Amino acid sequence: MNPDEWLRAFAAELHHRRVRPDDARHVVAEAATHLRDGGGDPAVVFGPPGRYAAAIAESIGAPPPAPAAPGPVRLQARGITKRYGRRTVLRDAGLTVRAGQIAAIVGANGCGKSTFLRICAGLISPDEGEVTVTGRLGYCPQQGGTSDFLLPDEHFVLVGTGQGLARGQARRAGRAAARQLGWDAPGDVLTRHLSGGTRQKLNLTMSTLAEPDVLLLDEPYQGFDRGTYVDFWEQLGRLRDAGRAIVVVTHLLNQLDRVDAVLDLTPAGGTVRDGGAGWGGRA
Amino acid sequence: MDIERRGQWLRGVLDLCVLGLLRDRESYGYQLAQALDTAGIGPIQGGTLYPVLLRLQRTGLVTAQWREGTAGPARKYYQITDLGRAALRQGGRDWAAFVTPVTGLLTERAER
Repeated sequence: MNPDEWLRAFAAELHHRRVRPDDARHVVAEAATHLRDGGGDPAVVFGPPGRYAAAIAESIGAPPPAPAAPGPVRLQARGITKRYGRRTVLRDAGLTVRAGQIAAIVGANGCGKSTFLRICAGLISPDEGEVTVTGRLGYCPQQGGTSDFLLPDEHFVLVGTGQGLARGQARRAGRAAARQLGWDAPGDVLTRHLSGGTRQKLNLTMSTLAEPDVLLLDEPYQGFDRGTYVDFWEQLGRLRDAGRAIVVVTHLLNQLDRVDAVLDLTPAGGTVRDGGAGWGGRA
Repeated sequence: MDIERRGQWLRGVLDLCVLGLLRDRESYGYQLAQALDTAGIGPIQGGTLYPVLLRLQRTGLVTAQWREGTAGPARKYYQITDLGRAALRQGGRDWAAFVTPVTGLLTERAER
């Protein structure tokens, strides 16, 4: 990143953190002056734009991102029960997510998190209960979903075609979405030669590319390094602010302060807890 | 020197060092960074320095104005306030009260 690019990214991050435009202008101008005086790589002098913006926001005492007023209900799952043979995987689980909200589905392994999400996606049917989705649906599976013998660009074109995008448009949109995850999608590497984590970035990029109203993500960050994981949650924040309804399955609880609702599917005393009891408010 | 430990120490006193540098004359970020280096504190990156300056400004220990310098572009100049001077005096006393017994312990151990 050259200094101008870094400063632009930094300004965008300050804006994203709701630092007042006046304050942001001063801080960016001061950083620009410092770089002019001292030279050096801004990524070394100040660090990554996102992290420096966070430090600045904290030092200024900027108000934390105000939760945007949630919009209309986009996803409503009610009384979801699913049995496999004699085993009841889900009992009367429910979740409501509005536009501009992130909901997390948490719980121990095997408690039905992925099953619940697949039911929401319409990939499998519940034994009881119903799911209502308003708008376009996007689903990112835990793994798979990419084609080994296609280039990343060809994936973007494939998804773009479904929305009537021309090849060039789709490619540009895909690469831009990939960069949000800190990934410069290469033009000439077959997907089977990408690392597992990078393939997940491709997977995630595709699911956001169609600009769904409801985005269902099944632990999409497996194989991500720490930096990418941070980028991933920042990206979710941006999508939320843009009015998407997001459901993310996770077993990592340290990000729960960033979500608006939590559905805990951990069985209590051998049975799945009532869906309504699993709700948690925003911190 | 153990870089990590040095970083921890620095986090505790960098604001006081900045106030110390501003005691006699106003200054701007890049100049403060150079002065800290010259004083032997070591190179302080902008990413560490400016958040400290913003906190000092927010808590009223320094004020700041954008001004054209004698040469070069406009810069944000920081001045210490009366509150800042009081904080510097108190911080200096606290530092001495902290560092003297630590030094005593460390040097006694070394001589034994």
